[in-house]
Amino acid sequence: MHKPVPVPDPTSEAYWAAAAEHRLALARCGHCGRLTHPPDVVCPHCLSTDPGFTFEPVDGRGTVRSWTVLRDSFLPGFAEDIPFVLVDVELDVQADLRLIGRLVDGPDTPLRLGDRVVTVFDARDDGPPVPAFSLDPTAEGAR
Amino acid sequence: MSDRFAARSQVAVVGYAHSPVRRHHDVPLGALALDTALAAIADAGLTKDDIDGFTTGSLLPTSGGHASVDGVSVVTANWLAEHLGVNPRFCAGFQGFGQIPGSVTMAVNALATGAADYVVLHRALHNPPRGRYHANPMTRAAGPMQWVAPQGYFGPLSMIALPYNEYLQRFSASRDAMAAVLVEARANGARIPWSYWHEKPITPQDYLDARVIAEPIGVLDCDIPVDGVAAFVLTRADRARDLPHKPVYVAGYAMGSPKRTRLPTHWPLDDIMEAGFEIRRRLEDATGVTVDVIDVPQLYDGFSPFVYFWLESLGLCPVGEAHRFVQEGIDAAAGGLPILSGGGALGNGRMHGVPQMLECYLQLSQRAGDRQLASATVGLACHSSPHFGGAVMYTAEPL
Ligand SMILES: [Zn+2]
Repeated sequence: MHKPVPVPDPTSEAYWAAAAEHRLALARCGHCGRLTHPPDVVCPHCLSTDPGFTFEPVDGRGTVRSWTVLRDSFLPGFAEDIPFVLVDVELDVQADLRLIGRLVDGPDTPLRLGDRVVTVFDARDDGPPVPAFSLDPTAEGAR
Repeated sequence: MSDRFAARSQVAVVGYAHSPVRRHHDVPLGALALDTALAAIADAGLTKDDIDGFTTGSLLPTSGGHASVDGVSVVTANWLAEHLGVNPRFCAGFQGFGQIPGSVTMAVNALATGAADYVVLHRALHNPPRGRYHANPMTRAAGPMQWVAPQGYFGPLSMIALPYNEYLQRFSASRDAMAAVLVEARANGARIPWSYWHEKPITPQDYLDARVIAEPIGVLDCDIPVDGVAAFVLTRADRARDLPHKPVYVAGYAMGSPKRTRLPTHWPLDDIMEAGFEIRRRLEDATGVTVDVIDVPQLYDGFSPFVYFWLESLGLCPVGEAHRFVQEGIDAAAGGLPILSGGGALGNGRMHGVPQMLECYLQLSQRAGDRQLASATVGLACHSSPHFGGAVMYTAEPL
């Protein structure tokens, strides 16, 4: 069973094209300049109905706000990966900008709120690499 | 300070019926809904010819790949009216989560404005017959799902696991503390004849031994999917006085909504709590009643952490303290705050806000039988997460 393969569309093709090159690119509003993820019909910050989002590479470092260890998966494609960790990460690049991804360090990794992570890319056989996270080895107090 | 809700105490609940709750009924959901609606109408001392309004929230709360068929897997207000042979003046469905408070708002507004005189509000829940409730064979992630499913983030257990772990870590709480919530919900559900868990209480050790699915969420932190239907009859207070049962008045309601764009099913703890604080303010403004006088506070518990989130955001205990408060404070039989006296979803099965509304009705109308609480004057029925749901306040006497 395959993991779900992303289907790029006009709102996301630049995101997945960047991911293919192992770069994290997020949508920046042409009016207020703030980032949003995922891009919506309007900019959630300035409410522009014509936000003209452009995807640009951002620093993938961030802070762990929560996590869960999956011991069962409701997506059959992930059954062979059980158990795995998902982390809820606030990126440094903008306050309250949060992404969710797998923590590639493994299910036994000790975690605390505030742990520092970097964006990495999870290779897939049948689609673009998928953004994920790893504990930042350069962070102060890194274990 | 905003004005009081203009329909405060103008509308009352006057009758109910509840089907048995089973994993799978051997009759179609629509047939169960028709029988339950007719029983509720009879309980209110009415006939179906009196009914001129219908409302529900029909959404099937599963993320599995199930087709939705009216009369089989869902029952809309229109389907129910048509198959009862009624041509109602008012018929409408609530489209979001928080189906119970959402459909109560529609019934109250229709009755208070004279759009209908007698409204049947029903909720029909279905457990699809094959496969796992939330399992989804998705192999391509298009639209909103492309942002999360390729990462393995999918479904409501991961959704609730993240804010729950955020809570546990922030307040140095142990997941073991939740055993008190499950024991109380199941103890009360065990006393309810129609409950799936009738006569099936659990011990703290049962909770601790249960399988963990998405840490810190285990199988017993989730209500069990079921087939079941409940129906209520509502009318205006002046008409309610002529009916057989003591009316229970709707004092007001408040709904919550998310404030920020997030990834699909990403529910950070602060988003949930912020909406809960606002629901409390809105409720107190609408009703003029402060939460400290609520003696039947029925908190939503479809996933157990919602009990903590509602307790704290409503101000029933300090923020960060719910995991301690539940150890001693919620045993209804021992005079504790009866937040799960109706068993909730954890003690009845996935009836999605029905147990909370029903317990408010039964207690405030003095129809709770041997579960009747010593004091039952103001009830609160919560449903869903605060930031996608809401709460309705009920009183035994008009305000
Ligand atoms: Zn903007």
